[in-house]
Amino acid sequence: MITLSLGTGAIIAIVIVALVLIVVFWFIGVMNQLRQLELKVQEAESGIDVALTKRFDMLTKMLQTTKGYAKHESETLEKVVKWRAGIPKEATLKDKEEFFNQLNQVAQGINVVVEKYPDLKANTVFMELQTAVANTEEHLQAARRLYNANVTRINTIIVTFPQSIVAKQIHMDKKPYFEAEEAKREDVKFEF
Amino acid sequence: MDDKYLNFNSQKKQAETKIIIGGSITALGIILALIGNVNQNSLMVIGIIVAVCGFIVVMIGYGAFASLKRNFKEQILRKMFEQAMPGISYDPTRGLSEGVVYETGHLKRADRYHSEDFLGGEVDGVEFISSDVKLEERHVEHTKNGTRVYYVAYFIGRIFRFEFNKEFVGSLQVLEAGSPLHRGFKKVQMESVDFNKKFRTFTTEDITAFYILTPDIMEAIHNLERRNPGRIGLSFQGDHLYVSINNNRDTFEVQLFRKIDDSMVEEFKKDLLVIKDFIMTLKLNTNLFKIKEDKK
Repeated sequence: MITLSLGTGAIIAIVIVALVLIVVFWFIGVMNQLRQLELKVQEAESGIDVALTKRFDMLTKMLQTTKGYAKHESETLEKVVKWRAGIPKEATLKDKEEFFNQLNQVAQGINVVVEKYPDLKANTVFMELQTAVANTEEHLQAARRLYNANVTRINTIIVTFPQSIVAKQIHMDKKPYFEAEEAKREDVKFEF
Repeated sequence: MDDKYLNFNSQKKQAETKIIIGGSITALGIILALIGNVNQNSLMVIGIIVAVCGFIVVMIGYGAFASLKRNFKEQILRKMFEQAMPGISYDPTRGLSEGVVYETGHLKRADRYHSEDFLGGEVDGVEFISSDVKLEERHVEHTKNGTRVYYVAYFIGRIFRFEFNKEFVGSLQVLEAGSPLHRGFKKVQMESVDFNKKFRTFTTEDITAFYILTPDIMEAIHNLERRNPGRIGLSFQGDHLYVSINNNRDTFEVQLFRKIDDSMVEEFKKDLLVIKDFIMTLKLNTNLFKIKEDKK
């Protein structure tokens, strides 16, 4: 029979190693969680890009259809949008927010045009586009909410102790929310 | 006085009387048989005969009551339902197929299945089907006296299938209890703390959960849950929304020892209007998100 006798020093060393290992594994666990959540945030942001592009395309088509009825108004609305060719790769979240609000202004502008030219309501292509635009708006809102939900999750970890230590070590900062400017959307006025 | 129910009430009274008399005779027979078991065999035989006779009377009473319920549904409820919600049809003898029930994705396959009170049609442009469903699980118990097989109901309630007005990727389930039966679902936390407390949301695609469950719809689901006691489950699959309400109730049934009157019929009407309530509250009649094909 083999008996192991360990001295006090050895026991202390084993405990210290065990504690260090626990801390290391915990650190790796939190770090992985943060990285995974960061990926989710990025994925959700690209979802916003897709939804914004889709909305932009739909509104552009709608403006083209509107041109036959209200050329001047349509051209004015076209100028509201900064990026005529879609979202540039280097665009920041702030830029996208601005783009989002511009698209909302265009959508509201089209509604004003429809009120002014009721004939548009009889145009089936226009009506189908209107449905498609409403749908893209829903998709965009969903993408925005998903992004913000993921941001909330990651930010909660980043600001919560002791996970905040890991976040600091890997230089991970709080992520910005994608916010729609509700007040701005409501106050929009068009003078053609 | 509700004259239109007079005939039903008198038939019901007769059936109830048979059940009471039969029940009393059965009880008397059992007592005689028990006494006979202790003292004399002949009394026991008489007791058994009396009990069997009593039981037959009870069964006759139940038979008459079942037939009355069927007639009431055919003659009164069918007409009333079709007037209350034009465009629907009611068939008390038919139910949803098992396939439709399991398409919900959160109700496991039953060992014994029963469904009745089929309702179907179109309300405000939204197609739907629904019925009462009872799902039972088989249990086997081995005792020293032999094997006992019995069934336990794990779902008694209503199931609805509505045409859904949004096109989406994957599937979504919003459940008050339980979890999806199929793989690939993950739990999602919505922004509403109250909603997350009350419901568990599972989806195959995160974006689908946020696309379908807008803040308005989450609030609407909350309101529907408050108005419909029982465990509620919503399943969004393909072109349909499935709703299950496990409330331990058999809807549209006339009850024994309760007079048939307008108040009872009003309750049935209220149960019927739950369909309309779902359509309106969940805005299923909004045609904003889907270009409908012409129905021929």
